[in-house]
Amino acid sequence: MSGTRHNLAAKATLLILPLVMYAALYLLPLISIGSLSVDNGELSDRFSRLSAHFGTDAPVDDAAAVALLADLQGMDSRDRAEAGRMFNQEKQGFRSLLIDTGKAAGDIPPTLDGLTAFDPRWGEPSWWEVLERNVEPVTWRHVQKATGIKPDGQGGFGIAPGDDIYLRILVRTFVIAGQVTLLTLLLGYPLAYAVANGTPRVRAVVLMAVLLSFWTSILVRTTAWVVLLQTNGLLNGLLIRLGIIAEPLQLIFNRFGTVVAMTHVLLPFAILPMMNVMRTIPAAQTDASRSLGAGPVETFLRVYFPQTLRGAAVGGGTVFILALGFYVTPALTGGPGDQMLSYYIADFVKKGLNWGMASVLSLMLLASVILMLLIGLLVRRLAGWRRQGV
Amino acid sequence: MVNPWKSGAIAVCAVLAAQTAAARDLTIAGWGGNYQDAQRAAYFQPFADAKGVKFTEATYLGGLAEVKTMADTGDATWDLVIVEGADLQVGCDEGLFEEIDWDSIPAKDQLVPEAIQPCGAGNVVIGTGLAYNSETVGEKPQNWQDFFNTQKWPGKRGMRAGPKYNLEFALIADGVSPDQVYEVLATPEGVERAFAKLDTIKKDIQFWEAGAQPIEWLAANNVVMTVSYNARISAAQKEGKPFVFVWTNPLYSIDAWAVPANAPNKDLAMEFIAFASTAEPQAKFSQLMPYGPTNTQVAGMLPPEVLANIPAGENVKDGFFFSDPFWTDNNDALSERWNNWVTR
Repeated sequence: MSGTRHNLAAKATLLILPLVMYAALYLLPLISIGSLSVDNGELSDRFSRLSAHFGTDAPVDDAAAVALLADLQGMDSRDRAEAGRMFNQEKQGFRSLLIDTGKAAGDIPPTLDGLTAFDPRWGEPSWWEVLERNVEPVTWRHVQKATGIKPDGQGGFGIAPGDDIYLRILVRTFVIAGQVTLLTLLLGYPLAYAVANGTPRVRAVVLMAVLLSFWTSILVRTTAWVVLLQTNGLLNGLLIRLGIIAEPLQLIFNRFGTVVAMTHVLLPFAILPMMNVMRTIPAAQTDASRSLGAGPVETFLRVYFPQTLRGAAVGGGTVFILALGFYVTPALTGGPGDQMLSYYIADFVKKGLNWGMASVLSLMLLASVILMLLIGLLVRRLAGWRRQGV
Repeated sequence: MVNPWKSGAIAVCAVLAAQTAAARDLTIAGWGGNYQDAQRAAYFQPFADAKGVKFTEATYLGGLAEVKTMADTGDATWDLVIVEGADLQVGCDEGLFEEIDWDSIPAKDQLVPEAIQPCGAGNVVIGTGLAYNSETVGEKPQNWQDFFNTQKWPGKRGMRAGPKYNLEFALIADGVSPDQVYEVLATPEGVERAFAKLDTIKKDIQFWEAGAQPIEWLAANNVVMTVSYNARISAAQKEGKPFVFVWTNPLYSIDAWAVPANAPNKDLAMEFIAFASTAEPQAKFSQLMPYGPTNTQVAGMLPPEVLANIPAGENVKDGFFFSDPFWTDNNDALSERWNNWVTR
């Protein structure tokens, strides 16, 4: 008896093993990348003496100079260059200052005056402040830069003008995703209806068109929109030939081009769930509503439409979340003012070699998606209670 | 205090990748488009034929992300990459590239001094300047002032994404002489001045990431003029496109071959660098893609119509050399400022 139970438990464990593996493979890289946002081990390890010095709230004095020079001598030139690059993200010129000081570290008298004589910048507090802030094992510099929230010097926190750049980009990302979601639902609803309720021929044609575009590479579809919308493109050519406009319109490299191309790319993700839900609604319900005296509009609004909302929610939610992470389409069809957060994440990874910033920005995007999902859940909960109350 | 998650993840990646890393072909990463086509004809194929080896190619779009990942994981998937000077300097300082043994490179004495770097062999001199489509532009733009003149030439202007090059051109358009550009740009007032000048055309700028993009935009009349690399324009001219590259105050820079740290075909890669530094393949390359050579013997081997289009001699007499040290120190701060400016 107990043997069977044991067997069952083993089987259950085997069944959930893929789930555990999936979760591990999904979560491990996420945690690893996420930890980069505050992990400062690369600097705190190399500046262990300086870190210990500032850890006791000691001032910038000769002991600090001794600690700095000893730390610099303890590193090889590659480590110094990498550390210099990281400090340079905080203050320009730090890279060369650190590399030059490191090279001469053995010959510099280990006092503050000695350092200042080597390079007068060591006499300025601002350079030491950068060191003091950035040799702890945990750093908030990336979080501060990404959110713009910094200590305001009076014990509180505030956002200085211009520091809210990534918050503004996050808002822009949400606005574009919202615009695209709205458009896909408005365009997708009638198409989904046509597939679910049309004659077999209409159904086949619309479904084929949707699936063909679904199976086509996102890059191809985006480039196709560039060809259509550009200055001498097909659309401008057509409008000029018809005499509607005299000069070509700017249809691309702006918000219009971005939203149009993204809407097209994401349309199938809205249509397919709505179509599946609509297919499950029996035609008999509509007939019954009509035979009980409701007009076509009332039948649609009171019987058909509420049942399709579930599909619209799934489709709209999918489109919204996919749109938040878009990169290629805005890069090819948008202007400088239409780039979304992913563009800046890629920029920090590739050009800036600042993976800490890339990590914080990714976490910001992830956190806002989770927040949206929680709000969605809450709204559904509240709506559910209200319905039960009635 | 090494991060256990990170080292774990890197270890997993390394184990998975190690299986494919063994004994692969010589892998060369370049900037794509007709630039890489010309490199294939002038360097890759002749070298592979002479050595009896195979090669594969990859595309590289600047920055050090790939090379840094290769160094961190210990799995170098490229053996050679052609990089810009500033990235070469940073990568070399941080040990991301192999050092070059210049004594084993016979052509060393023929190279211009700027080409001889601890971790890289300068191979290609690139001119960056103003280009337009003569069929659609109307009156011909002459200089950087014209690039910023939206009254006379309304419409979008193509510029390279990011602050590099653009701040320099803005200052020249604002009246700074090319040899003073980096002095001015090193001061806060100079930076203000560059951004103020860029403000005047901000709504008309369209940024490109890859050198092939502005060529397509000129052809499709999506931009009225653009910042472009000189040889991309020459290559388009050969295909019959009515494009013009303006040799007034161009910026020139050197791309260099470098070998990612611990590349499995390191020795072969070094032999490639020795080959690519010689005059004969450089002359062939300049004829296919009119960028300048770094081997001083090449100039005598080129016909005058090719010399007229490369960043050398008369063409760069009022030009200026891109400052790698300036951008190594200032890129982070100016990129931040730039992103802030772009999103406003």
